[in-house]
Amino acid sequence: MPDNVLDAPAVTRRCLLASLLTAYTASLIPWALAQPVDNADQGAFLAISAILAGRQSLNAQQAKRLYDALKADDEGFPKMARELLALINDRKIAPLELQQVLDGEKSPLAGVPRKIATAWFLGIVGAGAKARCLAYETALNAIIVSDVLKPPTYAYGVYGSWTAKPT
Amino acid sequence: MMPDVTAADFVVIGSGIIGSTVARRLAEAGASVLILEAGPRVTRGEVVARFRNSPRRSDWMSPYPPAPWAPHPIYQPESNNYLLQAGPYPYEAEYIRQVGGTTWHWAAHAWRNVPNDFKIKSLYGVGVDWPFGYDDLEPFYQEAEELMGVSGAPNTGSPRKKPFPMEPVAEPYAMRRIRERLVPAYEVVTNTTARNSRTYDGRPACCGNNSCQPICPIDAQYHGGLAAQAAEQAGARLIADANVYKLEHDERGRISAALYYDPDKNSHRVTGKTFVVAANGIESPRLLLLSASDKFPRGLANSSDMVGRNLMDHPSTSLTFDADEDLWLGRGPQSPSSIGIMRDGAFRAEHAPYRLDFTNISRVDGTTRALIAEGVYGDEFAQRLRHSAARELNVKNVLEVLPDPNHRITLSEQKDAMGIPKPQTHYSIGDYTRKGHERSQRDFRRIAELMGGSNLRFSKEGDFANNQHICGTLSMGDDPKSSVCDQWARAHDHENLYFAGTGVLPTCGTCNSTENGVAVALRTVHHILGEQGVRPVSAPPGQG
Repeated sequence: MPDNVLDAPAVTRRCLLASLLTAYTASLIPWALAQPVDNADQGAFLAISAILAGRQSLNAQQAKRLYDALKADDEGFPKMARELLALINDRKIAPLELQQVLDGEKSPLAGVPRKIATAWFLGIVGAGAKARCLAYETALNAIIVSDVLKPPTYAYGVYGSWTAKPT
Repeated sequence: MMPDVTAADFVVIGSGIIGSTVARRLAEAGASVLILEAGPRVTRGEVVARFRNSPRRSDWMSPYPPAPWAPHPIYQPESNNYLLQAGPYPYEAEYIRQVGGTTWHWAAHAWRNVPNDFKIKSLYGVGVDWPFGYDDLEPFYQEAEELMGVSGAPNTGSPRKKPFPMEPVAEPYAMRRIRERLVPAYEVVTNTTARNSRTYDGRPACCGNNSCQPICPIDAQYHGGLAAQAAEQAGARLIADANVYKLEHDERGRISAALYYDPDKNSHRVTGKTFVVAANGIESPRLLLLSASDKFPRGLANSSDMVGRNLMDHPSTSLTFDADEDLWLGRGPQSPSSIGIMRDGAFRAEHAPYRLDFTNISRVDGTTRALIAEGVYGDEFAQRLRHSAARELNVKNVLEVLPDPNHRITLSEQKDAMGIPKPQTHYSIGDYTRKGHERSQRDFRRIAELMGGSNLRFSKEGDFANNQHICGTLSMGDDPKSSVCDQWARAHDHENLYFAGTGVLPTCGTCNSTENGVAVALRTVHHILGEQGVRPVSAPPGQG
């Protein structure tokens, strides 16, 4: 399969992600199974993204941008994402235990979840001087609290609206 | 190449909130005024966009990258080593060299001192007394507050003859709950801020963007960019990207010219009748030291060897904890409330006074980083993020530092990109300040207890965060042997050289230094114009 199957029929793109999962990982992210992906590498990234993000819907366009940025930083990233998904599939590792397991085993994959989580939750890819912001108001940490808070620089509301008890 | 020449009645070096305010008042009185600013012009929109696109949103300097020809200190993602640290304790000052200066990025705290701050030597036997008292400055506080548009409540310990220009800014729900739960043990007061609680001077009321630092996107708070704009509207001429590297003097010791580099390092020469150095508490003494000559080998205004000495700021330690109810910091302005009961008292003979300050900064980004570091993923992430965003509180102290000649700014042997020696700092945290920190831990614990606090996280013992209120390096005083300038901020050594900025403040008290700096500078302007026989266009309230 070519790397980018941009013209793949929608049905194929929507079935691809499901085909990468086992019953265990599918059970973690049933809401994500129909997410369209271009290829298996991106599918593995999206599957791990969904596992790390919890019950958050993931924007396909944002997923593509984050994936491309992570890949641009590290050509080996797609392969590592596939290996990480395979590991989770095989060993049925729970999301909350994943980092602990990888760190404990000094796995070469230990940095992968943090990179993906940083990309989704903060909208940031890369580190140090190479870090860049790809999402702000659509970063998941802003979405998760959006019923109560606005991202800084966005107006909360009319003058004094913040005096009310948040509901 | 031969330098070109520009001339003005007044040459103001630095376009920050204080320099620009001085320039504005002088121009309004009919003088020709030239402002030389080392950094570039930057718009509010550019800063907002830089913040939103920043990969380091918690690094509030990230939207303010230094210009290569006018560097300022940067510490993230790595230090640019502009401000050299000679120890023993790091003084990682942050400031901004651009038109408008450092108050582009501030919480807009616009406090007056409390009256006893002016006489701590007489009353408590520590520090020094100011060469004038609260009552002398009171009309100029009022003038500063009317210029900046200050809102506040009368219960903060600083008496006033006229009301605040504006009512206090509406209290965020979280601060209301803190106030309600801490009474009667502590009175929580609304901070005095240059933030609009209604439309003021053509600028809108706050709408709770919660990004006061690093940038208010709607100019609901005053800042130096607005002050520079007002100065230009009053007729002052502002040259940006003009990095002044030397002041020249004549045989009588009068300042005759300022030399500056443009970004291509072409040198330009500006002459004037009177010079006002307003380049902040680090760059101003640096310029005086850079201007050493055969006649003044230790630098200008430095016969006392006091230039750059008595550096002060406000160190802080803090407590973070989880309250037992949902409060959701991040709604409304960032820094709305504090406790002032420890700002003054007989204890000042023994330990530093302090203000206790509650943050209202959203906890979302900080918690996110902590959860990722911890490896919290999946459904748990959202639950934990919402819990901390709703419950986490932080209170910090704002501690007084006493003037100490050993705390100082000097010239480094290293040079910046323009070939000018970099500033270097010598700093430490004295026992007086440490004892204040120790005393405040009692308050931290009591506050947490009253808020049903759990998961108490004290800042690391021995670590003091800096508040970027650079004071004291050009201290004013009556004795030319122990101070740099007189009570009018005129250099003891140079008849036509004045200073404007927080560097002239002899002590730093427990409140953010900007309003003190602006008020003292307005007093200076009043004096200059009076001495020159010019009636100020806008006389201070009660005196005009």
